[in-house]
Amino acid sequence: MRWEVFKQDAPGRPHQAVGSVHGADAEHALLNARHVFGRRPSAVSVWVVPADRVFSRTAEELEAEAGRGDGTAAPAPAGAARRLFHVFRKASHRRSMTFADHVLDVEAADHASALAEALARASGEPALAWWVVAADDVARSDPADAPSWWEPARDKTYRQQSYYGTVAPQRAREAGR
Amino acid sequence: MSASAGGPAAAPGAATPLSAEVRAALIERLTAMADDELLLGHRDSEWTGHGPLLEEDIALANLAQDEIGHAALWYGLRQALDGSDPDALAFRRDPDGFRSSLLVELPRGDWAFTMLRQFLFDCYEAEALPRLARSAYAPLAEAAAKAHREELFHLRHAGLWVRRLGLGTAESRARATRALDELWAALGGLLAPLPGDALLEAEGVLPDWGAVAEATIARARRALAEASIDPGFDTEVPPASSREAVSEHRRELLGTMQSVARADPEAVAW
Amino acid sequence: MSPEADVSRAEDERLARFEARIAAGEKIEPGDWMPDEYRRQLIRMISQHAHSEVVGMLPEGAWITRAPSLRRKLILIAKVQDEGGHGQYLYHAAETLGITREEMEAALLEGRAKYSSVFNYPTLTWADVGMIGWLVDGAAIKNQTMLAQCSYGPYSRAMVRICSEETFHHKQGKEMVLAYAHGTPAQRRMAQDALDRWWWPAVMMLGPHDSDSPNTPLLVRWGIKTKTNDQVRQEFIDEHAPELLEAGLRIPDPDLRYDEETGHWVHGPIDWDEFWRVVKGDGPCNAERMAVRRKAHADGAWVREALAAYAARQEREAARAPVEA
Repeated sequence: MRWEVFKQDAPGRPHQAVGSVHGADAEHALLNARHVFGRRPSAVSVWVVPADRVFSRTAEELEAEAGRGDGTAAPAPAGAARRLFHVFRKASHRRSMTFADHVLDVEAADHASALAEALARASGEPALAWWVVAADDVARSDPADAPSWWEPARDKTYRQQSYYGTVAPQRAREAGR
Repeated sequence: MSASAGGPAAAPGAATPLSAEVRAALIERLTAMADDELLLGHRDSEWTGHGPLLEEDIALANLAQDEIGHAALWYGLRQALDGSDPDALAFRRDPDGFRSSLLVELPRGDWAFTMLRQFLFDCYEAEALPRLARSAYAPLAEAAAKAHREELFHLRHAGLWVRRLGLGTAESRARATRALDELWAALGGLLAPLPGDALLEAEGVLPDWGAVAEATIARARRALAEASIDPGFDTEVPPASSREAVSEHRRELLGTMQSVARADPEAVAW
Repeated sequence: MSPEADVSRAEDERLARFEARIAAGEKIEPGDWMPDEYRRQLIRMISQHAHSEVVGMLPEGAWITRAPSLRRKLILIAKVQDEGGHGQYLYHAAETLGITREEMEAALLEGRAKYSSVFNYPTLTWADVGMIGWLVDGAAIKNQTMLAQCSYGPYSRAMVRICSEETFHHKQGKEMVLAYAHGTPAQRRMAQDALDRWWWPAVMMLGPHDSDSPNTPLLVRWGIKTKTNDQVRQEFIDEHAPELLEAGLRIPDPDLRYDEETGHWVHGPIDWDEFWRVVKGDGPCNAERMAVRRKAHADGAWVREALAAYAARQEREAARAPVEA
């Protein structure tokens, strides 16, 4: 099964979509997310969500839907139970390793309504793509596990290019080493 | 004299005056711990490119780096005591000079074998390291605290696999049980005290090693039972094999591991 | 106008809008309209790239157990781990285009998929590990830096992440070879021998000459490639040739020389017969590499079944007992 991974680089920063992992179940997916995306420092939390539970719309898709008149703003039935949704937005075409940032949480009856709510709140701000995820669908790393999950990567300094001496020995000799 | 009481002998970085006897015993103990980590890390690393899932290749490579990093840590503590170079210890010591336990020397076997071996070793570290973190010998206490942090994740990973092997298919449970039979026989060698440990315990440098062994076995039994893996072993610590005995596995492993370093004895830097 | 003409005009308009987006530097994301050929070319390129990373774990991975110092052992394990991780990122990127990991793996193991032929050469000595890091990763970095500009979002993002992680691969290789080039006589001979065997495979790794790359013009037009093979190859040689020579090593190309006028290094003719033989599966290690991957896959079948069985068991138990919030 494929799971989308969201990683938080530091406390206070938003979770960001960084890619996906395969996992047979949520716990396996969480550990795989740590293995795949926690090799370098700058991670304090990961979320994983089954890929087929991610509701996704690009700006182009939203435009096309609006043009056809089948927009995402279908109102939910009155009294429908509301759940918490996390909304992620891609705001720029700039080169990046991350796709979309967690920008707000919305209470709604379903993914489509949650996106409609997010669009209403974000009017005027540029958005190239949106992902909506139900909070219940998210498996999260435990903050109590943070030291053993994320800190060991800091000690593996051999992953940093500054760790290597690649000055040619001739120049090194001239420098009196 | 315990570090947690903040006694005068425990200031981090301060030279701790050790008697010749205690120093010798500590060197033996550190060497055994380092050798275990190095050989275990080596066996883990043999899976790179051969794992059942790409994600597990990545996972085992992480375990291997952590274990070898711990080996470097313990060799470093020994170096501070007798000046031995860690690379010389790892790559130019003869097999009969090693003090690794049979448990870590055994070949990697199938996935169940590797996961069960890792699991048993992780249970042992889960009990040993927090107690070592209270050692009266400050450098050892610090190193143990650091290693413990990484071992917590290892235990999580191993625990995940023990459950999936035991509660997966009939085949996975059968392989896990077979693996455990062989590993259990070697576990005693990992947990048995060295001749000098009694002195180290008396000095507060080492915890009660018998307590470590009992807690390790209890922890392992609990997790294995929850995973429906029951090889029928009894509660006593299995008979120990000596770390001084040179198994064919140690010979084979070191023969490979040391081959490049030994081929060019003049080489100063690799 | 006929319905067919309507459809074809609509397609032309969509293609024009698509190409305008790319020309404007926009990223195409999953869900956006794309020509079938764009999707096909990307699936081919990305999956080949992913397979290359995974197969690429093997030539160097074989030396992990013989790394001659604790430091080198750690570095090599970390590097090979990264290669697995990079394959992982790339399989993910390809999956956004509608192909599955299982389909891609099957294609590789059944010999239907290609991967970079540079990994079909054997690693004969420890110094090969350093030379691969310096040259093969050096060439890969040039290529990947270029691909990070790719118009397809998921591929571009995977490339940016890979580029940031790859720099230490290059540095550790260069450090190793420099140390051996100035080390014991045996180390110097080992370094030179490694260069003798890896120089041309690295040069060829950047792909056939532009004149033999029929896909390139379309890939450039659609922002999948932003430079041609020969352009990237020139960058690679311009950077590495002087450094190798400065290290006191001999490059196995008698025609290699620096052209003062252009400021570029000129290289001798590439043996493309060998390149195509190796690409088509007749290299020294093709069979061996595939055998290892097939065995790993086959040996792992019972493990994957156990994972699936456990997951199914968990789901059954969750369905029986409602979870408290």
